Amino acid sequence: MKKIDKKVADSYFKTRTTLIMIYLAIGATVSYGVVLFAEPLSNITFNGIPLHYYMGAQGAVLTFIILLFVNAIVSDRVDKKYGIDEARNESIGSGKTVDH
Amino acid sequence: MDTQFLVSLAFILLTFGLYIGIAIYNQAKATSDFYVAGRGVPPIYNGMAIGADWMSAASFIGMAGTVMVMGYDGLGYIMGWTGGYLLLTFLMAPQLRKYGRYTVPEFIGDRYGSNLARLIAAVATIIISFTYSIGQMSGSGVVIGRLLEVDYRIGTIIGACLIAFYSALGGMKGITWTQVAQYVVLITAYLVPVIFMALQLTNNPLPWVSYGSIIEEMRVLDRELGISEYVVPFTEGTKWQFLALMFTLMAGTAGLPHVIVRFYTVSTMKAARWSGAWALLFIGLLYLSAPAYAAFSRFILMTQVAGSPIDQLPAWTASWVDTGMLQVADTSGDGVLQWQELQIANDIVVMATPEIANLGIFVIGLMAAGAMAAALSTAGGLMIAISASLSHDIYFRSINPNASDKKRLAVGRWSIVLASLAAGVIALNPPGAITQIVAWAFALASGSFFPALLLGVWWKRSNAKGVIAGMLVGLSVTLGYIFAAKYGGFTILGIIDTGAGVFGASAAIIANVVVSLATKPPSQKIQEEVIDLRYPEQMTYRDGEVWLDDGNDVPPSK
Repeated sequence: MKKIDKKVADSYFKTRTTLIMIYLAIGATVSYGVVLFAEPLSNITFNGIPLHYYMGAQGAVLTFIILLFVNAIVSDRVDKKYGIDEARNESIGSGKTVDH
Repeated sequence: MDTQFLVSLAFILLTFGLYIGIAIYNQAKATSDFYVAGRGVPPIYNGMAIGADWMSAASFIGMAGTVMVMGYDGLGYIMGWTGGYLLLTFLMAPQLRKYGRYTVPEFIGDRYGSNLARLIAAVATIIISFTYSIGQMSGSGVVIGRLLEVDYRIGTIIGACLIAFYSALGGMKGITWTQVAQYVVLITAYLVPVIFMALQLTNNPLPWVSYGSIIEEMRVLDRELGISEYVVPFTEGTKWQFLALMFTLMAGTAGLPHVIVRFYTVSTMKAARWSGAWALLFIGLLYLSAPAYAAFSRFILMTQVAGSPIDQLPAWTASWVDTGMLQVADTSGDGVLQWQELQIANDIVVMATPEIANLGIFVIGLMAAGAMAAALSTAGGLMIAISASLSHDIYFRSINPNASDKKRLAVGRWSIVLASLAAGVIALNPPGAITQIVAWAFALASGSFFPALLLGVWWKRSNAKGVIAGMLVGLSVTLGYIFAAKYGGFTILGIIDTGAGVFGASAAIIANVVVSLATKPPSQKIQEEVIDLRYPEQMTYRDGEVWLDDGNDVPPSK
């Protein structure tokens, strides 16, 4: 065990939280945002489908999937930047249960 | 017995044999195997297991039909049910995994330091999962009943016995690998007919790309017939109902105990993030295909069935008319079936489409096996959640804290058997339509667990009194709104019972925050544990300092 600077730990948390807020904002825009403006968006056509319908049927879901993979990849990079060793995490976390 | 029956039966028996074989091979030996599969499932397989756990009979049998009947307004289900994975993976799953408990009620009990909070959460888990499983049991009853050509009640009993048998035998470890197999079966069964239909109608094997042309043709047809257009928004309800439904399904997803527990089966927070990503990719394969399925079915019905003479309808119509799910009444009396005279129920669109599109007996048999996989895998996950609440949160933590591993396992197994049979009995005479029951389960989860977990993970000041008030207020408001909207005709901004989660979740968050601030903050130890959830496993927060476990030396003692 070694002590790490609280500022470093705080900036780790801040980086992760900021990214999550950005992802959630994008997710909300492609779903709630599109529904709110469904009528004007229906005048635009994409692949033969009015845009509001396309976003509901495919666009939003595809965006959600991409966001989750981007989060997984970027989070791994952030962990690496802060010197987190996944193998060590695994031996700490694997099989770990708080038993009573 | 005709060929179709034999082929469908062969598909179902073959897949059942596979599931049971996997369950026996992975039999649970220790308690942690039983509840959380020994916590070592690789994320990609866990993603498939989450997919099968998550996609219920309502997703498989009902969703494409809902989109077909509701048009654009049905897409609220697609976006709501997939968007929930953002909330779940970003805001909850990794932190809950690091906390390292067996069940969701146990997290709530320990995080808030309250036995009463744990018991309320355990009871809420049982209510939500039990409600949800009634829908699965009656779904499997419909499929088995139709297949074996027996009354659907006998089908329901057969389904309940199968679920009880393999959930009790394998526990979470067996269920995980069974669900991986069930995912493969159900997604194959869903994609094969939609790809064939795309080939038939558009000469392109990729339905996701090619159904735009079908949508265009339907817009022209809709205008010719003068009916409400398929793609025009908010024809079935207000814009606010659409948004409220979407929120309820998202927040409910993030609060469903049987889905959250699947994130407990991996080894680290990183694995939890990857599980969420893989899960939504696998779920997306079905959810992206459902609108294409809906468009193709509607187009075939509009162009090939509507407009034909009433005495020359295809053979498949007769058997569905017998079930009461399809109505073809020549109200105008001109001998021709108009589109307006055709009424098709949401729940038969997926099951009937292979027959409508004339795809052959193997595809129809595959569909039956896929529908069964969807119903059984979700029911299995729900049964594990119920059994964990009863045997772990209630029996072990409150009644008999000295119980041995063996005793706890036995209680777990018996509670699965009893819960499956009880749900089976209620499913013989279900209290409402399947989709309606499922929507209520989501509304209850978004009114109770979503706020409790969100604040529990992200706000260290939230305390026991706050969460108890939050869960009770959230559940009462949700239930109250469902009843007021459904039976009293009471609505706000046109939001009906399926959107009740918006009010439940807001009320629960307000109650939690207000009561927490008005009472004493939680203990220093609990607040430190909540701060600790900000960091990966290797980092530990203690007394205002952060430690990194590099495996080199023993942790310094306090």
